[in-house]
Amino acid sequence: MSAYIVTVSITIGIYVILAISLNIITGYAGQISLGHAAFFGIGAYASGMLATRVGAPFFVCLPFAVVVTGIVGAILGIPCLRVREDFLAITTMGINFVVQAVFLYVPFFGGALGISNIPVPSIHGSDMTKPEYLIMVLLFILLSILVDGWLTRSWTGLALSAIREDETAAEMSGVNLTRFKVIAFVLGSAMAGLAGSLYAHFMSFISATDFGFAESIVILSMVVFGGIGTLRGPIIGAIVLGVAPELFRPILNYRTLLYGVMLVVLMRFQPQGLLGIDSFVTRTLKRLWKKETRGYEPAA
Amino acid sequence: MKKWILGGLISLLALCVGVGTLWAGEIKIGFFAPLTGFAAADGASAKNAVTLALEKINVSGGINGNKVKLVIYDDRVNPQESVAIANKLVERDKVVAVVSGSYSTPTRVTAPIFNKAGIPMVAAYAVDPSITRAGPYIFRTGFLGEVEGKAAGEVAVNLLKAKTIAMFTIDNDFGRALSKGFHERIKKFGGKVVYEHAFAIGTKDFSAMLTKVKALDPDLLFISGYYEEAALAVKQARELGLTCRIEGEEGFDSPKFLELAGDAANGVVITTNLNRDDPRPFVQNFIKAYKKKYGMEPDMVGASSYDAFMVVVNAIRKAGPNPKAIRKAIAETKDFDGLTGRITHFNKLGEAMKPVQVQIVKGGEFHYFGVISDPEIITPPNK
Amino acid sequence: MLGQQLINGFTIGSIYALIALGLTMVYGVLKILHIAHAGVYAMGAYIGLWVYRLVPNLFLAMLAAMFLSGVAGILIERFLYKSMLDKSRIVPLIASIGLFIAMEETFRIIAGPYVKAFSVHFRQKPWILGSARISAPQMLVFGVTIVLLVLLWWVITRTRMGKALRAVSMDREMADALGVATEKIILLSFFISSALAGAAGVLVGVFYNSVYPTMGDIPAYKALAIIVLGGMGSIPGTILGAFLIGISETFLIGYVNVPLPRDALAFIVMIAVLMFRPYGLLGKE
Repeated sequence: MSAYIVTVSITIGIYVILAISLNIITGYAGQISLGHAAFFGIGAYASGMLATRVGAPFFVCLPFAVVVTGIVGAILGIPCLRVREDFLAITTMGINFVVQAVFLYVPFFGGALGISNIPVPSIHGSDMTKPEYLIMVLLFILLSILVDGWLTRSWTGLALSAIREDETAAEMSGVNLTRFKVIAFVLGSAMAGLAGSLYAHFMSFISATDFGFAESIVILSMVVFGGIGTLRGPIIGAIVLGVAPELFRPILNYRTLLYGVMLVVLMRFQPQGLLGIDSFVTRTLKRLWKKETRGYEPAA
Repeated sequence: MKKWILGGLISLLALCVGVGTLWAGEIKIGFFAPLTGFAAADGASAKNAVTLALEKINVSGGINGNKVKLVIYDDRVNPQESVAIANKLVERDKVVAVVSGSYSTPTRVTAPIFNKAGIPMVAAYAVDPSITRAGPYIFRTGFLGEVEGKAAGEVAVNLLKAKTIAMFTIDNDFGRALSKGFHERIKKFGGKVVYEHAFAIGTKDFSAMLTKVKALDPDLLFISGYYEEAALAVKQARELGLTCRIEGEEGFDSPKFLELAGDAANGVVITTNLNRDDPRPFVQNFIKAYKKKYGMEPDMVGASSYDAFMVVVNAIRKAGPNPKAIRKAIAETKDFDGLTGRITHFNKLGEAMKPVQVQIVKGGEFHYFGVISDPEIITPPNK
Repeated sequence: MLGQQLINGFTIGSIYALIALGLTMVYGVLKILHIAHAGVYAMGAYIGLWVYRLVPNLFLAMLAAMFLSGVAGILIERFLYKSMLDKSRIVPLIASIGLFIAMEETFRIIAGPYVKAFSVHFRQKPWILGSARISAPQMLVFGVTIVLLVLLWWVITRTRMGKALRAVSMDREMADALGVATEKIILLSFFISSALAGAAGVLVGVFYNSVYPTMGDIPAYKALAIIVLGGMGSIPGTILGAFLIGISETFLIGYVNVPLPRDALAFIVMIAVLMFRPYGLLGKE
């Protein structure tokens, strides 16, 4: 496989994890977050700094990043419990700006130059190649999918969807709002931290500007574009919106315009997202599937 | 029958020659810049200048008879996209060399990729010091932030004789590096910074900072930033009645600065790399041609990108379209006559050594004010 | 210095107020986070500049910008938001973001990536009040803001339309049931709010002498912070929030050397207020 395709695939793979993680907070628990890139950044900085300052190996940095981001997610989740709905959305956006400013202004975090020369992970004493890295990213995607699957089948998942549908009603029927919201925040943040760690060791340079509000919007767009509240949605959203700018590359002048237009058109005509519940594509696929199975029926 | 065979042979020959020239006749050079998004104006300047250079070369027969093709990509100052672009340039487009017409972020993430692939890259105006440290295949024709900061400090204390100085520093790698060099130099000559405040890219309102500076009444206000912010800061300073001298740097160097700041721009002194009063004819010709083609004056970003591209072209002219040979030729560059001054050589790290120009705004135009060629100031670090 | 800093803060506050007011009105009637409002604002600036270059009359340029921006607002409501009202609130949000990106890119493609100067020559000399001075462009900002705010206040409190608008923003379904022509009122509020954004665009263009494709980037999120601070949908709250943010930014930068950028300061103020008043300064549950 060519290095170009591998590189693009790794980037998209990292976005898939980010989209799955944001979907836990926004899709399952219904808490709109406009600041997910903050947690992506915290993971990247935690991992990159542990690797460059302490010299820890990647397989120590990665879990460290996940834990740190999870803890920060819990701490920053507390102010978010005070506010609801759109107030929450804007609060998370504010958190994104503050986190980014801290990375940029506090010299401990490398200031405007960020963190440089983050080492490539090594296995058996030699540097991981790009295809190997891709395989690792794919494995982590698989892990994220498993976590997601466990969540949706568990009591926590049920509680979260109760909160999403109607917070007050959920509280009345005995769902501990605080507890489950914090669980969603911690889980979603920790997973974003995982993506951050993968990003840091892949890019080898990170700086505060990589994790701004615009990045949060990109991640949220992927979740909604693919179909919020489902597992397949965020995955397909990350893939389509990740591949599109690369496909549009030859039309230099219009590629960003086209990206915007895509979002508008899809929301206008398929507000459930590409593969959301009851979207056109999902219905068509279901119909085709049924027809096919029916076709085989007479044999029995 | 014979005629047929002859005809066939001739057309076969023509085809071979055709394919042959096609094979030999095209040298691909990669180029990336932010063509969409917030930095699109700089991307356009870089692209325009390089396109102008390219046309000139191809009209006059290309490099040693081979046409040059530029493969242009938009990076949006986004690191992930830049990494993809770098791989694409190396692998799909098979370019022999690359010019970065972009900011630090895209340039520094792509430098290790080009270095590993053995494709030389010349960065035009990206300032991050880690760029050239990626390896022997990476060069830079622009100034390092610290070198320019030192030169600006020299201008402040020795040309403008300032004792007390206020600073507005743009809060990115460029501003920080500049500030560091500036502090270093003025300290040596007893200059004192009485106020320093950082501001974000895109800041429009400087009134709070300027009001404070007015109360402190320094000899000089040194502002680092790009022309959008710079023009507003200078204009608001004069509107608030601040009378001290204002010094700027290469980010000011754009016709847009003069247009946006208007009369307030007069008397502003900047350090940059393009001398508008340069007597060398090709500099004046470039300025004229650029104006004719794009309807505006060239800026620092354009001139730097032009030079970076010409360094690559010159190397190919000497060494042929082989990446390894090109790298060697660039490293051996001696006294290259660029738009932005004479590059005496590239040091071990790949940093260009060239004088810093000092310009002053008079009557709404940039003019010569001085030049700094003291090696103590302009020598870039070696490791 | 204190006087001057207050004037500086009020200038910024006025600009913030004009941009945020429209956003809060839209939120009031539709409960939508209308990010593309910042695109309408930039569009207003471009229209104003274009008209001003044809006929150098600032008043005319401002009127044209307000009218056309208002029309753009109506079109956005009609063709985009109208179909999304019964959907999850994240749907219009993403559509709005997409529209904002597309608008910025369209400006760049049509008008070029470079900053355009919007130079207006003021004959008025600055007023000197002790050590402080108010420049002619600042007078313009104050003047226009006061006129527009008074006008808005009059429309909302003294006209039938205003009454209906308040009814819709309190409870759309109830107002509908009571026979208020909600459709018309929604369109009207989009027209007014987009016209305000257009006026703000022209003012900012003139005040900072610059119009460029991405000029809406910072207002896009700063205005959100302001309306949240004020209590989403509350008009007096938004005005209060705008001046609070404008003045606190100025004072924090002018007096305390906080090593944080202006935007982060605005958000810290916002988050701090929300911790004590989760529905904003003047917002109701």
